[in-house]
Amino acid sequence: MSLLSKLQETLVCLKAGRVTLPYPAQAGPVPETFRGRPIFDAARCIGCAGCASNCPAREILVVDVCQEIRILQYLGRRCTYCGRCADVCPEKAITMSREFETATDRIGDIRQRLELFMSTCQRCGRCFTEPSPLEQLKLKGYRFDDVQNERWIFRSQAYLTSEAAVDDISIDLD
Amino acid sequence: MTARERLNQLKEKFGPAIQRADLPGDSRLFAYVEPATLKAVCQYLFRELDARYVISIGLDDRPFSGKFLVAHNFAFDRDRLLCSMLAHLPADHPEVDSIAPAVPGANWAEREFRELVGIELRGHPYPKRLVLPDGWPDGVHPLRKDVPWNQVPADFDENAEFTFDDPPAGCTVVPFGPFHPTLDEPEHFRLYVEGEMVRGCEYRGFMVHRGIEKLAESVLTYNDIPLMAERICGICGCVHNVTYAQAVETAVALRPPPRAEYIRTIMLEIERLHSHLLWVGLACHIVGFDTLFMQSWRIREPIMWIAEKISGNRKTYALCVIGGVRWDITPEVKVELRHLLDKLEREWREVVAAVSRDKNIQKRTRGVGVADQALIKSLGLIGPVARAAGVDIDCRRDHPYAAYDRVDFAVITDTGGDVWSRVVVRMNEVFESIRIIRQCLEKMPEGPLQASIPDELPPGRLGLSSVEAPRGESHHFVITGENNRPHRWRVRAPTYQNLQAVPMMIKDQQLADMTISLGSIDPCFSCTDRLETIDLKSGATRVWSQAELIRLVRKT
Repeated sequence: MSLLSKLQETLVCLKAGRVTLPYPAQAGPVPETFRGRPIFDAARCIGCAGCASNCPAREILVVDVCQEIRILQYLGRRCTYCGRCADVCPEKAITMSREFETATDRIGDIRQRLELFMSTCQRCGRCFTEPSPLEQLKLKGYRFDDVQNERWIFRSQAYLTSEAAVDDISIDLD
Repeated sequence: MTARERLNQLKEKFGPAIQRADLPGDSRLFAYVEPATLKAVCQYLFRELDARYVISIGLDDRPFSGKFLVAHNFAFDRDRLLCSMLAHLPADHPEVDSIAPAVPGANWAEREFRELVGIELRGHPYPKRLVLPDGWPDGVHPLRKDVPWNQVPADFDENAEFTFDDPPAGCTVVPFGPFHPTLDEPEHFRLYVEGEMVRGCEYRGFMVHRGIEKLAESVLTYNDIPLMAERICGICGCVHNVTYAQAVETAVALRPPPRAEYIRTIMLEIERLHSHLLWVGLACHIVGFDTLFMQSWRIREPIMWIAEKISGNRKTYALCVIGGVRWDITPEVKVELRHLLDKLEREWREVVAAVSRDKNIQKRTRGVGVADQALIKSLGLIGPVARAAGVDIDCRRDHPYAAYDRVDFAVITDTGGDVWSRVVVRMNEVFESIRIIRQCLEKMPEGPLQASIPDELPPGRLGLSSVEAPRGESHHFVITGENNRPHRWRVRAPTYQNLQAVPMMIKDQQLADMTISLGSIDPCFSCTDRLETIDLKSGATRVWSQAELIRLVRKT
């Protein structure tokens, strides 16, 4: 009976009532486990670059400006908020925040730049042990990226050499 | 029949043409076949042994074996067996007999490796460009290892236009897509229409081909790929995430801990619940029944919330890494999920009771977009499209993975083969998914979430994995490689096979049924060469040319 089914359908609608939420006028709460924009804590970061090595979108760049200062830059342009950086961070310096309304027309709004004072051996850069051997495989040494041009260099090396990583970049070693 | 018996069957028939074989376990068979006999072997498997065609893969294996490799994958669904027929081709002139004349479902896959890997085909029935963009020069094959991942060929022609076939005599061409209101992704169908009746069509798709496979082979690493894989599909992303992880795990004989397997099962079923409810809503929207569209999506919303609570996101759960999962299901979530399932089941039962007798929907969907068993066999159709025609296949039962071998569920089938049957199958599968999740919550053991991986993953191993996505079987083929990334990763999403059947499903039907026929396979699509604007006050119309539109878009 089609008429009966129409009545049933009406009942389904009436029972549900109004369910629309007042978004975007009012944003609802998000759960504890929510994966929003990652926030980097410079006080906790030890500059191991584990996040940079594990970022699937390659949005975290690392470069050393001198023996003591390492720059870690999070670009956030195509970051998918997957949370791998927070997973592998040994010092819990990265938290996945609950921010999700991050649309902006100025890309600098989401960028984060950490200047880290390094006291560890710069040549090996080994400050942490990765949680699983699969991740250990990957980190032969830290990457040396082109921060000025916001570009990542995916060749990782056991240690820095003066040989150019890509054609137009040369690394000055003391 | 086990993998070994199948192999013996092949050896008996073809003798020395079967050069060697790998049998990793009872459920996988990799046979290396002499290239000249490859077509005969595939024909024998498909026609006489009644195997289901899955996918064909081409790859540039020169860094390892100095040759090209082609693989045709088949499935024996009753024997829980996935097999792959491989053949090495010479590096200087890779050419192979096309199996498409014998196995029609191989049509796209063969054209794809011809373009992307540059393996020439002998005797392909329709060797027209499929994947590469219109302006891409011939002779540059992006999946070859010597082509860098970020290279745009110097002679790429921005202004090139695709040459379409001529329509049959007496037919008018009606363009459908690339951007069509009822579809979510760009695909272009050129429909040949006679009066109101569709007589045929030409398909031009792959407009959002993103080269994920190439990225995986050259830039990403094993554990980066699952997070890219789930972006293959916005609706069944977790399926690709799990399929990839399982393909690598089977390749290197790694087993995730039991708790991880149960969590994978739960998340896959949560995804199926949301996808089926979404689809039922969309299908109703396409036929103009917006009441059910709204109600179905209302019932679906709490599923998105629980997924967000478990994984941190409504979609793209970022669930798997190789050897395990990243998110646990806590006792609180367990309680909440149980309540949610009870409520969902109650509400959905009311909707199903109302809809299943609704004459209006049935008028629009019965006898529309029919795919019969012969078509399903020849093109290798899968998922609800196959089950709606009474073809009883479901990877969850036929090729068990994760924890599906430890739960009890029914495979829903119907007999009509039309859009209505697909609605019925999907509506009822929701109840089975609820049952599966309940059993998983009951049986899930405590334990670690990730297996420990003591050694480097060995290169050169082959892995196959099939996962039943909401819209059919998703199949991944992986060859492990060096530098911590796969040597080749081939993804076959379910729509890849199902979309090939659309021209047959819409033939000799009303033009107005096109959208729901297409919608019934649950695809993704869109596209516009021209746009017309109408000034509402004066009624004057202005047609925008493609060049003007491009200028408008690129202005910023």
